[in-house]
Amino acid sequence: MSTSSETTADYLLLFRGNVWDRGLSPAQIQQVVADWMAWFERLKAEGKCLGGHPLEEEGKVVSGKQGRTVADGPFAESKEAIGGYFYLHVADENEAIEIARQCPGLEYGAVVEVRPVADVCSMKQRAMEYSPGQLAGANA
Amino acid sequence: MLLFRGGDWDKGLTKEELQQAMDRVMAWFEGLNERGKIKGAQPLGDQGRVISGTDGRFVVDGPFTETKEAVGGYLVLQADSLDEAVEIARLMPTLRYGISVEVRPILAQCPIFQRHPDLVRKTDRAAEQLWVAAAA
Repeated sequence: MSTSSETTADYLLLFRGNVWDRGLSPAQIQQVVADWMAWFERLKAEGKCLGGHPLEEEGKVVSGKQGRTVADGPFAESKEAIGGYFYLHVADENEAIEIARQCPGLEYGAVVEVRPVADVCSMKQRAMEYSPGQLAGANA
Repeated sequence: MLLFRGGDWDKGLTKEELQQAMDRVMAWFEGLNERGKIKGAQPLGDQGRVISGTDGRFVVDGPFTETKEAVGGYLVLQADSLDEAVEIARLMPTLRYGISVEVRPILAQCPIFQRHPDLVRKTDRAAEQLWVAAAA
């Protein structure tokens, strides 16, 4: 993994909105799911998607000192909640965006967040700017 | 999957506090890694795009939510249960600075199939096979 630049050519697609199937007919849902899987399989075959998963709708949100607060559920409301992700390995951001625009759920209200995967945690980077070379484990 | 939310927790910390916090984060991470709990993990850049609408006609800048809620990184955990994942998340050292951790079970198949059991499933690939350890 290169450490010469802030970002690699890896991107995460975060699929938001996990209630897109409400109100669709079984045939429509079948079509979207089939399209989605074909899209995933094609990207994998092309070497552009290295992995991906759906996420369960339940979950917990942990916050506060020593994680004292543990609340039920995904962080955001259903239409904004993250329902799954793809890990992309592509040439640049434009290619990641072009792939995101092919998401079969977009037509039914899904939203795709495209985020560059960073080589180095931005906190480490900021800390290193404070004290160059002094942050232990900065290149871990 | 752990989703780390809140990207600007370091604002207002001194150099020493930040060094200590990052030392604790690295120790937490290395401890999990040594126990074989980590399948993948990456920080995410602050930039990004949000795509929506039919054929992706809308493309806007930035992470989806405001900074304190934006996802700043993720970690794919190998845990036996949601409870174990929550216990691990509670040890995340930067919680005290306002980070929150969303803990979400990874599914072997899309929940759409659970909601619509009559759907035909055209591939049987297991979830484990889908995750290529890109972040290893």
